[in-house]
Formats: sequence, C-alpha cells, structure tokens
Amino acid sequence: MDYWLDITAYIGLGAGVTLKIFFVTLLFSVPLGVVCALGKLGKFRILRGALGVYTWVFRGTPLLLQLFFTYYGLGILSDGRIAFDPETAAYITFVFNYAAYFTEIFRGGIQSIGKGQYEAAKALGMNPGLTMKRIILPQAIKIILPPMGNEAINLIKDTALCSVITVTEILRNANRVMSRDFNVGALVIAALVYLLMTFAVIQVFRKLEKRYAYYTIR
Amino acid sequence: MCAPRDRVEELNGIEANQTEIVKATNLHKSFGRLHVLKGVDFYANRGEILSVVGPSGSGKSTLLRLLNHLETADRGSIRIDGRYIAKENADGRSEYISGKKVLKICSKLGMVFQNFNLFPHKSVIENLMEAPMTVAGVSKDAAAEKAESLLEKVGLTDKRNAYPGQLSGGQQQRVAIARALAMDPEIMLFDEPTSALDPELIGEVLGVIKNLAAERITMIIVTHEMNFARGISDRILFMDGGLILADGTPDDILVNPSHPRIRDFLRKIIREQ
Ligand SMILES: Nc1ncnc2c1ncn2[C@@H]1O[C@H](COP(=O)(O)OP(=O)(O)O)[C@@H](O)[C@H]1O
Ligand SMILES: [Mg+2]
Repeated sequence: MDYWLDITAYIGLGAGVTLKIFFVTLLFSVPLGVVCALGKLGKFRILRGALGVYTWVFRGTPLLLQLFFTYYGLGILSDGRIAFDPETAAYITFVFNYAAYFTEIFRGGIQSIGKGQYEAAKALGMNPGLTMKRIILPQAIKIILPPMGNEAINLIKDTALCSVITVTEILRNANRVMSRDFNVGALVIAALVYLLMTFAVIQVFRKLEKRYAYYTIR
Repeated sequence: MCAPRDRVEELNGIEANQTEIVKATNLHKSFGRLHVLKGVDFYANRGEILSVVGPSGSGKSTLLRLLNHLETADRGSIRIDGRYIAKENADGRSEYISGKKVLKICSKLGMVFQNFNLFPHKSVIENLMEAPMTVAGVSKDAAAEKAESLLEKVGLTDKRNAYPGQLSGGQQQRVAIARALAMDPEIMLFDEPTSALDPELIGEVLGVIKNLAAERITMIIVTHEMNFARGISDRILFMDGGLILADGTPDDILVNPSHPRIRDFLRKIIREQ
C-alpha cells in the first residue's frame, strides 16, 4: 500500500509541473494571440505577412520538433550562449506554439462578426478601438469559447511531450516508475490524473459557455 | 451668389447657406469596375423630410452611406452642417479630412439600417446607452434616463431588459431607431427601414418614423413604401442608374410623374405589392 501511495505522490509531483506549464502557457499565449490576431486583421501589410509566417511555422511543424529546437537547437546555434533549463524551454515553446493557434482562432472569431456591427458602431460615432473593445471582442468571445476549450484540452495532453526534454511532469515521472519497477500501474495512475485535469477543463468551459448563452448571434 | 465671399466662407470651412444641412456635389463612387454613383448632386434642408426612391441597385444606399462615411467617395464634395468632410481637389478627386474629424462631424447623423444591426450581446437599454456613455461621455444615470424616454417614444419600455434576439423584427427596428436618437442626431438616415420586415410589422415602424417627422429632425429616407413616402415627405428624389433623375414634391414624383422611368418604376412596384 505504501508503495502505491509513494508512486502516486511522485506522479502528483509531476502533475504540479504539468499544471504550471498549462497555466503559464495560457497566461501568456492568450494575450499574445489576441494581439497577433488584431495584427493579422490590421492594415500593416508587413506585419500581416510576418504574422502569417509565424503562425504557419508554429502550426505547420511538430510541437516536439519545436521543443527540441528551443532546448537543444538554440544552444548549439548560439554556441551555448543561449541555454534554457528544460522547464523554461517548455514554457517558451508552448507559449509561442499555442499563441499561434489562438491567433487563428481569435482571427476567425473576430472575422465572423458581421460588418453590420462595425457600421452600426461607426454610425453611432464609435472609433475603431472602441468598436473592437465594446462591440466586436465581446461577441467574438462567445464564438471562440468552444475551440478554445478544445485547445485547452490539447494543451493538457501536449504537456506530456515535455517529458522528452527531461521536464519532470506527469508522464516523465510515471515512465521512470514503470521502467524501474516494471509496473504498468504507474501509467494507469498517470492516465487518471490526465483525465481528472481534462475533466476539470471541460467543466470550466461548459460554465463559461453557459455564461455567454444569454444571447444569440444571428 | 458673389464669388469672393463664397471663397472666404469655404476657406473657413463654413457654408454660407445655413438652410442646407447636407450638401453633396458631383458624387462619384465605383466598386471595382462597377460605376455606382455617376455624379450625384444632393442637398437636404434643415428640418426637411426627404424620401429617396428608385429601383434596387440604383445607388440609393451608396448615397446614404457616403453621407455618413460608411463608404468614401471617389469624386465630389460632401458637406454636413456647413463643414466639409470631403472636398473635391483640383483634379476632381475627393479629399477627406482626418478620420477623427469625420467621425465627429458625422455624429450629427444617425442611421437606421435595413437589418437593424443591434448589438446582440447588449440588452435593449444597453444598446441605447452604449454610444452616449462611451462616445458622448454622458453619465450612466443620464444615459439611462434618456434611454427610458426614448423607449417610451418607440413604445418598448417593457422590453428594456430583453436582448435583440428575443424581439420581433419590428421591435428590433424600433430599438434601432431609438438607439440612433440617443445620440441626439440632427439628421436621421433611414436605409429601407421596413424592407426586412414581415408585412404585418411594417406599420409599427412607419408609425414611429411618422411621429419623428413631427419633431422636424431632418430625415432622409430610402424606401419602397410609396404611400408612406407620399404622406410624409416634403420632397422626393427618384434615383436610377446612379443618378438622381427627378427631384420634386410627392405629387410631382408619385402622382403625375413626367419621367417615363418613374412611370415604369411605379408600375413595377404596384405589381409587386
Ligand atoms: N460594398 C460593395 N461592393 C461591391 N458592390 C457594391 C457594394 N455596395 C453596393 N454595391 C453595388 O452597387 C450597386 C448599387 O448598390 P446600392 O447603393 O446598394 O443600391 P440600392 O440601395 O439603390 O439598391 C449595386 O449593383 C450593388 O451590388
Ligand atoms: Mg439599398
């Protein structure tokens, strides 16, 4: 019995790291995604082009490759001058990777608001900034919540990739137990922890969607 | 008109003729290769009620949308209450003043759209309070008070907390009218305000517009409701093919039309209804 408590505690330690990656990623990638989405919809062509390349690269290559690049590649390229510890490398990669996805989700959400809303706001004297803040973004939030929920679930699961750059998250710890003790039970415990987390995320997004259910966008 | 004085007035940006609250000259607008307005001269006098009629595609909406800067003119000048928002330069192109200033000047114009365009995430009363509070800087209490009186005017006090999605088309359009009025416009633009409505809902919206007419706000109404236009208008413009073909009293245009195109148009409208 003690044994099972021990390995559960050990995997629970990893869960803390996983949650840290999860929250740090959301904390930075959501605002970054908003800014990039606005940039992509803005009138500066060079900025639009640069952001297009950014989202293309980060969405078009494996996240695992990006992790390797940040953790190993940058160090080699810079002759060791840039060197991140595994967790920092994970934060950086995940923030930029997820911000790329959020950029596209937010852009789509903003674009799905009809031009009648912009025209009504302008006819009332609202400037573009005010229109975005008061009229467009509040409505876009309702539209982006479902895809955001999906991304949040993906994010929980993607954190497992960090095990390959030796971040001591859930899967890494479970894997070490398994190879030390030849005990598949560690994987089952890890699976249960992931399920708990994704369940919580689903509940949170269900609540959020309910909060925005009071109106309909035609 | 004596020319030198005119020029001085223009340099000041103030129009001498203060009865013309809206004045547009030689307006041209193309969408790609489609030449939609082909040199429209337009004016509306202060307090005047003006209807614009004509076949669809003739450029009526485009004309309205140029007046409040939802579209920009290619050529020609636009003056609102004596101030230019666009002025024809030496080679005929429209030169606009800064976007900020245009927005300020165009705040004298309220607009009612065919599809209402209410803010769906805001309740009826929030729709009415939004611009007064965020644009005009009116306090919340004052905005709410004003909104209540406007809701009374359009007969929707009991819907103050409803959301647009819960209202009929006619109710939504009445809210949209109240929302525009909340900014105290001097000019109201209506772009086919009843065209998206079921027939049984048209009357309530026309009724609200009729009541406004009594307040003598300048109104420019694009409509296919000929009886309504005839009853309410001081003057009616007939547009076809990107030009104003006729400009006269309701009787001139709708009862004894001299222009064959108007007769065709009226015949068609009657057949459709
Ligand atoms: N934003 C636009 N882009 C392209 N074509 C447009 C646009 N707005 C209007 N048009 C075209 O211009 C013509 C005149 O349109 P409009 O002013 O809406 O006419 P009306 O209101 O008299 O029916 C139509 O052929 C219409 O398809
Ligand atoms: Mg039209």
